[in-house]
Amino acid sequence: MQNLTIEANQSSPSVIADWERGVITMRGESYPENSFSLYEKILDWLASYLEASKRSLQLDLELNYLNTSSLRAMIELFDAIQEASEEGRDVSVIWRYDTRNPRAAELGKELKEDYTFSFVIVAIDP
Amino acid sequence: MAGSWMGMWEGLSLRQLGELQKFCCDQEILICLNGPNSQSLIEEIGKALRQHIASQTETSKAMDVFSTYIEMSQNIRNYGLSRNYDAVTASATVIIASHPQGRYSISAANLVEKEDGERLLERIQTLAKLDKQELKQLYKLQLREAPLNAGGAGLGLIEMARRSSEPMESSLEDRPEGRSFFALRVIV
Repeated sequence: MQNLTIEANQSSPSVIADWERGVITMRGESYPENSFSLYEKILDWLASYLEASKRSLQLDLELNYLNTSSLRAMIELFDAIQEASEEGRDVSVIWRYDTRNPRAAELGKELKEDYTFSFVIVAIDP
Repeated sequence: MAGSWMGMWEGLSLRQLGELQKFCCDQEILICLNGPNSQSLIEEIGKALRQHIASQTETSKAMDVFSTYIEMSQNIRNYGLSRNYDAVTASATVIIASHPQGRYSISAANLVEKEDGERLLERIQTLAKLDKQELKQLYKLQLREAPLNAGGAGLGLIEMARRSSEPMESSLEDRPEGRSFFALRVIV
């Protein structure tokens, strides 16, 4: 399977889904015109990855801002990870936030409440 | 109505520009725009707004204003697209102003079909009755129930209600062709 690489722009995060390492990295801000078309690619990649092997998966996020339609799509990713976790898979999420932006920290905390897989919130000092 | 007014129209005088400037200063308006609403415009205005407010006050306030502006203007953009409006009909009117006690008011308005406007008004009145905890619960519920690929205004409205320091205000004004002018104001 291929790696998935999407370049960042002002309203769309960079995405690197690394098949070998089993890591999806997203960095930046997410409020594109059509968030579903962006997240659909990541969801498809995740589904193929989880289907194809029994290896671990980590979703490594550093997202300063998500609009509601991006967040709606992100929930689908988290729900898929939760499901894999309930099947005994080694899956985790890292939520990195810039300490200058407490809203990103609050969002991470709120998302973490709804899941039982390893969800680590990491503060990054500028 | 527009026709007779258009007949008297001889172009914008520089004096009117001065009146507009005075109005904006009196109302402490940071940004005032009226016109076609594109994703690239939303991004540029959003960026300028965030940088400006972050230079005046804490980042979380700048993010609240930015997020409210993005949700409002993307709601208007998605609505215009869903109704196949032309660029002028789908225009957004946006005003962001300073508000007492270090707060900001974000107001946006657009043309909608009358029945859609009535539904929106009702929705906003319902949200206005909920406290922050109830809004959080509703938000979490909607995050899973809202359709994935539709730019539904539902989640955006709850998000705005959660950030708003006062109940959101909205109004509806009749316009020709079965449409209404829907306006929404959030204070953060």
